[in-house]
Amino acid sequence: MIGLAIDSVLALGIVWMALQTVRSDSLFQAMLMFIVFGLLMSLAWARLHAPDLALAEAAIGAGITGALLLVTWRRLQVHGPDDSNGPRLMTRWLALPIACASALLVIIIGWTALQLPAVPGTAGELTLQRLEDIGVSNPVTGVLLGFRAYDTLMEMAVLLAAWLGARAVATEFRPGVLPGPAHAEVPLVGALLSLVVPISILVAVYLLQAGGSAPGGAFQGGAVLAAGGVLLCLTGRLEAAAQASALERVGVILGLAVFSLTGLIVMATGGPMLALPGVWAIYLVETALLLSIALTLVLLFAAAPGLRRAP
Amino acid sequence: MILTEVMASLLLISGCFFYIAGTVGLLRFPDVFSRLHALTKADNLGLFLICTGLAVNSGSPRITGLLLVVWILGLLAATVSCHLIARRAIRSGQAEPPVAEPRAADPTP
Repeated sequence: MIGLAIDSVLALGIVWMALQTVRSDSLFQAMLMFIVFGLLMSLAWARLHAPDLALAEAAIGAGITGALLLVTWRRLQVHGPDDSNGPRLMTRWLALPIACASALLVIIIGWTALQLPAVPGTAGELTLQRLEDIGVSNPVTGVLLGFRAYDTLMEMAVLLAAWLGARAVATEFRPGVLPGPAHAEVPLVGALLSLVVPISILVAVYLLQAGGSAPGGAFQGGAVLAAGGVLLCLTGRLEAAAQASALERVGVILGLAVFSLTGLIVMATGGPMLALPGVWAIYLVETALLLSIALTLVLLFAAAPGLRRAP
Repeated sequence: MILTEVMASLLLISGCFFYIAGTVGLLRFPDVFSRLHALTKADNLGLFLICTGLAVNSGSPRITGLLLVVWILGLLAATVSCHLIARRAIRSGQAEPPVAEPRAADPTP
């Protein structure tokens, strides 16, 4: 009974936040609504007993995306056009028809999915039967590595493409350098950083390690590590460099390279491509993915080809 | 068993009360400083009560330790961000709260 009440409030809140995101007058308000929308989505995933998705949504959907949106807002204010309230959102009247069409689409897809006969031997069932062979005890990680390896590889390619796209655009419309943070020298900030940044590293490594047996994995860990990097950028400890160092260039492609190479080596030795030959390979690939994800996200946040220690 | 459940419920409910009080303060108080005061004070105590309630409910030392870490991290983040927001408000000249004149945007007198 109380569960139903919570779910109803959550569902109404999600729809309301989505509507407010597309309906609000100011860009800033729309961004905040979108961040709250992400938080509510992560609560909804938790209520649906999908902690993996809840973690990913909170870390990436609300956390990192929120930070990217807010830093974009700041750049628009400092360097953007004169109407610094952001571009007027003129398409508000479109919100209702688009929302109705989307709702109709969701209903049609949901109805169709409910009509489909249950298929025996889905990826989840097969994974649950053969968890020992895969070498991890978390079925979500098992499905991702056993059946969705191409998806994970392509997600890394998409992330790399996003970063390359941002680089290409940045050379055309050079994003101006933001004025240095006024609070860089506040003693409290240094104390907080010296505690929170090591904790972000610890939690990232824990999430990576836990991914084998519990909710977690490279994307969630990468987002948490990136949050530590974003904090260092925000407080002026890291600043944009004009050129990427060799280490950063390697770091950005590390995940894609290690994953593809492992897959190709497996194929050369007679196995199917991307079939990971054991637990060590899983952790090798996941570690490379985590480093690449974190570095790419921080570089996207800084809108810079590289980073360097602030003097 | 019943006793711990009653205790946990009381702690959770009083935690929620402090969160609601802090949110009302954020919405109703007139200037940055009193809003910050309401928000951080009430939320820190609310988070403490909710963490304690959950710890009593779980009855596990491991979860109690983790909840303690959650509370301390919440305290640290709230303290530093409150300090930074207040500092920025003073620097940008909002130091005098508008006590003398009621704001035009405020519907209630």
